Amino acid sequence: MTLQFLADGLIAGSTIALGAVGVTLTYSILRFANFAHGEFISWGCYLTLLIAGPIGAWIAASADAIGPLSVGWNIVLAGVLAMALTGLLAIALDAILFKPLRERGASITAVMASFGASMALRALLEVLFSSRPAYLSRELQIAIPVAPGIRVTPDQIALVAITALLVAGLHLLLTRTALGRSLRAVGENPALARVAGVDVARVIRLTWFLGGALACASGVMLGLVVQIRPTMGSEILLPLFAAAILGGIGSVPGALIGGLIVGLAEATTVELVGSQWRAAVAFLVLISVLLIRPTGLLGRSP
Amino acid sequence: MTGAPPLLEVEALVAGYERGAPVVNGVSIVAKRGEIVVLLGPNGAGKSTLVKAIAGLVPVVSGRVRLAGDDITARPTHAMVSSGLAFVPQTENVFTTLTVTDNLKLAAQTLPSGQRVSRIADVHLLFPDLETQRGQAAGRLSGGQRQMLAVARALIVAPQVLMLDEPSAGLSPKVVHHLFRKLQEIRDSGVGVVLVEQNVRAALGIADRVYVLVEGRNRLEGAPGSLASDPAIAALYLGGAVAAAGESP
Repeated sequence: MTLQFLADGLIAGSTIALGAVGVTLTYSILRFANFAHGEFISWGCYLTLLIAGPIGAWIAASADAIGPLSVGWNIVLAGVLAMALTGLLAIALDAILFKPLRERGASITAVMASFGASMALRALLEVLFSSRPAYLSRELQIAIPVAPGIRVTPDQIALVAITALLVAGLHLLLTRTALGRSLRAVGENPALARVAGVDVARVIRLTWFLGGALACASGVMLGLVVQIRPTMGSEILLPLFAAAILGGIGSVPGALIGGLIVGLAEATTVELVGSQWRAAVAFLVLISVLLIRPTGLLGRSP
Repeated sequence: MTGAPPLLEVEALVAGYERGAPVVNGVSIVAKRGEIVVLLGPNGAGKSTLVKAIAGLVPVVSGRVRLAGDDITARPTHAMVSSGLAFVPQTENVFTTLTVTDNLKLAAQTLPSGQRVSRIADVHLLFPDLETQRGQAAGRLSGGQRQMLAVARALIVAPQVLMLDEPSAGLSPKVVHHLFRKLQEIRDSGVGVVLVEQNVRAALGIADRVYVLVEGRNRLEGAPGSLASDPAIAALYLGGAVAAAGESP
């Protein structure tokens, strides 16, 4: 047995963590489990693909691979633009669907509506892009040995590093800035936040934007390691929720730890038990946490 | 002070949580600069709903709210705060997961950046205990300390009018006495204070004017002494608080 599965688990866990951060942010501030979050991941990846093509055609050199990576600056630039667009998509979905339900106090209906939105967004992707797999890069990468029995590709190293940077950045935003203070205040008590002078509607839009942008980043990371399909986001949704709940809903560092644990648990299961059990791991983690420690690892009791 | 123009004018306000079932039915009140106006009345009279409606937290069906002459009825709550109308809810009035300092900094975010530090320092002068608790999570404060923090948070924006919904609820008499002394200091600084209270005895002790609401409507209005000296009124609406009228809390 080699230790490669540990690296595979950490890499998969990074992708899960980035998505879980978006889930935990949306849930903790809006008190709303958004099952369409997986579709933001897919849309983010497809938007990156869509934008990268014209950028690459416009500036040919931008399509050249960056150093040892398999992708060029066109993908990086497209990813940043797609993050903004996915954030706007999330705001639009809230304005059209969730906000009217929230104002009527129909929170359970909003959760059900997110299932519907998820299916609609996925179907729209299939109509627009077909269900044939697509790729951000077709470059072959040579894995580099980083420890005895462990090899990783430069793309995978970049993926882990970017995840760490984004999660650290979001954590600092939430804990060290005025904006983060407003987000935490709205998450705890929206009515009191209004009374304290916070423009709650703006904070809600910002939450959706951040959640959508992070989902897009997660989608791009995922698109580097798996085939891009309209179902790629929905397939990762359960591990995202398992990671967010394991880490403690509302905790950004918790979502990171939760994501890494779920990723490692999946990879360990594949290595030791069999790949057919991989999908069951997230279920098992989710049920165990809810039974043993519902507040998660770093969550607070309500 | 009686000749001062009204800071807060509420005119025939109708408001409620559900359409067609108003809790407040055409209430009119006025609060002037540098006076404490106390809203009294039996449970269910609509006192708390009235101040929440003024603050924009309960839908207003009809009527007008003016702050220093400006119609603010349709303004969102956060904009009212910027305009100078501050509100301290009865419960859940501090952010328990934020520190004392972060509670104050949050409120200070509505101010121009150059004024924030000095306003927090001003509030610390009024509530020196908060300065020693600055790094403490607000959820760990005692009931009295939380109430002080809630009032301090509301004062950060240097409001023209400060509304408080039963701030003495659940507090010991000593803490209530301390809190009401602070409210008198705030009143003396020129702020118009609107106070909803069940603690009639203590409230009458600091009130400059009293409104009695019954079933969502204005029933009586006057100086605390004149209302409390009428035994029938005192027994019916003021909890028999005759002896307290005019006394300091």
